[in-house]
Amino acid sequence: MLSHLFKLIWNKKRHHTLLMVEIWVSFLVLFGVMSLISYNFKNYVEPIGFEYENVWALDLNKNQDTTAIADKLHIILQKIRSYPEVEAASRMSSNSPFSFNTSNGSINYKKTSVHGDYYDADDAFIHTLGIKPILGTWFSQSDVVAKFKPVVINQQAKEGLFGEINPIGKIIGDNQKVVGVIGNFKAKGEFSDNRPCIFNLIDDKYIFNKVLIKVKPGTDANFEAKLTKEIASVAKEWTTEVSYLTDQRQNQHNLALVPVIVFLIITVFLLVNVAMGLFGILNLNIAKRREEIGVRRAMGATAGNIKIQFVGEMWVIATFGVLIGILFAVQFPLLNVFNIEASIYWMAIGLSIVVLYGIVTLCAYHPSRQAANIQPAMALHEQ
Amino acid sequence: MLFNYIKIAWKVLLRHPFYTFITLFGITLTLTVLMVLTSFIDHLLGSHYPEYKRDKSLYIMNLTIQDSARSSMNNSPLSYNFIKEHIQKLKTPEKVGFSTFVSFANSYLNGKKIKLNTKFCDANFWEVTDYEFLEGKPFNEQNIANGEHVVVITDAIKKQYFEDETASAVGKSIEIDNEKFRVIGVVKAAPVTRLMTFSDVFFPYNLPKSNYQTAGLQGNFTAIVLAKSKSDFKAIQEEFNASVNRIPLPIALYGQKYDVIEVRAQTYTDTVLHTFMSGGREIYFYIGIVFILLILMGLPAINLVNLNVSRIMERASEIGIRKAFGAPSSALAWQFIIENIFITMIGGSFALILTLIIISIFNDSGLILHADLSINFSVFGVSLLVCLVFGLLSGVVPALRMSKMKVIDALKSS
Repeated sequence: MLSHLFKLIWNKKRHHTLLMVEIWVSFLVLFGVMSLISYNFKNYVEPIGFEYENVWALDLNKNQDTTAIADKLHIILQKIRSYPEVEAASRMSSNSPFSFNTSNGSINYKKTSVHGDYYDADDAFIHTLGIKPILGTWFSQSDVVAKFKPVVINQQAKEGLFGEINPIGKIIGDNQKVVGVIGNFKAKGEFSDNRPCIFNLIDDKYIFNKVLIKVKPGTDANFEAKLTKEIASVAKEWTTEVSYLTDQRQNQHNLALVPVIVFLIITVFLLVNVAMGLFGILNLNIAKRREEIGVRRAMGATAGNIKIQFVGEMWVIATFGVLIGILFAVQFPLLNVFNIEASIYWMAIGLSIVVLYGIVTLCAYHPSRQAANIQPAMALHEQ
Repeated sequence: MLFNYIKIAWKVLLRHPFYTFITLFGITLTLTVLMVLTSFIDHLLGSHYPEYKRDKSLYIMNLTIQDSARSSMNNSPLSYNFIKEHIQKLKTPEKVGFSTFVSFANSYLNGKKIKLNTKFCDANFWEVTDYEFLEGKPFNEQNIANGEHVVVITDAIKKQYFEDETASAVGKSIEIDNEKFRVIGVVKAAPVTRLMTFSDVFFPYNLPKSNYQTAGLQGNFTAIVLAKSKSDFKAIQEEFNASVNRIPLPIALYGQKYDVIEVRAQTYTDTVLHTFMSGGREIYFYIGIVFILLILMGLPAINLVNLNVSRIMERASEIGIRKAFGAPSSALAWQFIIENIFITMIGGSFALILTLIIISIFNDSGLILHADLSINFSVFGVSLLVCLVFGLLSGVVPALRMSKMKVIDALKSS
C-alpha cells in the first residue's frame, strides 16, 4: 500500500515539485520558530534562583564629585539600613539582576575553565535577594584572610570546574578561595540562559555605585522620595535612580518575548496561508480524479480505503518535503550553530514534524471525505 | 485590450468564490505584513517629528579609540570638549546642535513617582530639530550663559505633573531629582524611537549634572550637524575628518595608550546601522532583510503558483480558441500576468485598509511610547512596488505554463 503510494507520487513528481518545495520551506520556517520557542521554554522551566519582590535597585551616580566618595557611600548605606522600612540592603556591581549591564569572562580552576558572569556583592546580598547557599556559606568580611579573597560560585560553575569534587576551600584563579556554592542565578530573568557565575566580595576601597534594598511590603513612593532626599543631603552632586526589580524583570521579559511573539505571528500567518492553499489544491485534484475514484469504488474499495489513499498521498508528498527540510535542519545541531544545546534543535525538529503533519492531515481530511462520498454510479455516469 | 483583460480577470474571480477567497486571503495577509514592516522601518529611519530635517543632517554619535594592535577598544559618545573643538568650529555646516543621550531622573508628587527621561542640550539643538512648542519658548544662549535653572518639558509630562491641564505651565516650578527648575517651554512629545532627540525633559547643557566638563574625547554627548543642502555632506565630512586628524596621538586613557581614533559624521541610517553592526557587518543586516522578505513573499507566492497551476484546466478552452485564432504565446502570458497583478492590486487595497487599522491600534497601544507610525507617500510607493513584485512572482510560472499549452491539448480536453 505504502510503496504503491510512493510509486504514484514518484510518477507525477514534476506535478508535485512545487508542493514539496512549499512544504520544505514551511518546515524550515517552523523549525526556526520552534527552536526559538524550545530555547526560551527550556530556560523558563529552570528556576531563577532569587527573590525580586519588593527589591529596589538604587543607582548612585556620583557625576563630577571626586571627594571622599567611599565615606559618603558608607554614610548613605548606614542611613538606608537604619530605616524601619528597609529589611536588608546590599552593595553590588552595576550588573545587578535584570539590569542591562553585563560583565563576564573566564573562571579558571587548575586547567579547566568555564565562561561565566562576574558579580561583586557584599555580605548582606543573600538576605536582600533571599538566596540560600547549597554548600558552605555566603562570604563576609571575616573571610578575608591573608592573600585569599573569598568567592561564591553557583551550581553551574561548580559543575563546570569541579564536577563531583567538593569545591569548598579550593583556590580558583590566582587567589580566590571558594567559601560557598549557591543554586541557579539567572540575573537576566527567567528566559535567560542558566550560566555559570562567580561572586567577589566588594572591596571597601573600590567604588561600586549600585545598592539593592529589600523593603517591607507596601512601601510606596513617599519613602522613595524621602530616601532620595536623604541621599542628596549627604552627597549634593550625586543623582539617584531608583528602579524596582519587578519592573526591570518585565523589561527583560519583553525583550525576550517580543521577538518570539512577532515570529510566531508571522509563522502562523504563513502556515494558515499554506494550509488554505493545500486545501484548495486537494479539492481541485479530487475533482479531476472522480473517474478514478468511481472505478475503485465499483471494484469494491470502501469509503475508508479512498480516504486513506488521499490522506496517504498527501503524507507521502509531505514526507519528501520534510526529509529535504531535515537534511538542512540537522546541520544546526551537528555544527553547533549559535552555541545552543543540540537537544533544543532535536526538540524543534520533532515539534516541526508533528505540527507539519498535523496541518497536512487537517487540510487533506475534508477533501478526502468528499472523495470517499463519491458514488461510483455518479462518477462513472459522466463519462 | 488592458480593459478587456481586467474584465476577464474579474469574471474569473467571480466564477469560484471559494478559490477567490483563498487567493485574496493569502495576498492580503502577505501584503499587510509587508506594509506594516515598511511603515515600521520608515518610522525608525525616515524624517519624522521632531527630525523633519533628518535628510539634511549628519549625526555624530560615537567615538571609538583603539590601540595600534587593535586589542583594546573603547567606544563611547563624545565629550563636550570634543564637540567644542572639532564640531562647533566647522565652517561648512549651517548649524550644529548637541545634546546628551537620554538619562533618567525621578520626580515625586503626592506619593506618586514620575520617572523622567532627561536630556541636556544647547540652544542650537532647538534649531536643528523641529520640536513644536505648544507653550513658551526654548532656552537661548543667554539663559545658558546665566546658568539659569530652566527646563523644557513635554505635554505628556505637563499632564502628569501639573493638575490643571488647561493653565499654562510656563513659569511654574518643577522639582526633579530634588532640584527646582523653572519651566520655560512645553513641547509636543516625540516617540521614544528617535534615539538622539527623544526625551521628557530638556535641561541646558551646562548644569553640573550633565558632566559636560569631562576631560578627554569621550563623554556622553551626541551632535547633529545640519547642512545647507544634501550636496554639502561630503565637504562637511572632509572638514570634520581633517579636524579629527589634527588630534595629537597617542591618547592616554586609564593607563592605556590609544593610537587610532574612529569617529564619523554620517546620515541617520548609517549611524544606526553602524552602531548595531560595527565593522562591516552591515552586509549581514541586508542579507537578513532580503532573506526574511524572500520567505515572507516566497512561501505565499509558491502557494498561489500551486493553486493557479492546478486551476490551469479551467481556462483550457479559452486558451485553445485564442491560440487557434493566432494569438502568440507572449500575448497570452502577458494576459495572465496582468490578470495576476490586477488581483494582487485588489488584495493590496484590502491590505492597505488592514494596515491602517493595525497601525492605529499599534499607535494607541503605547507599546512604543508616543509612536507615530503612518502610511505616507514613500511607504505607499514601496507598498505598491511590493504588490507588483508579488504579482509577478506568483504570476509568471502559471502564465508560462498556460501559454505553452498546445492547441490540440487545450481544445481536446474541453
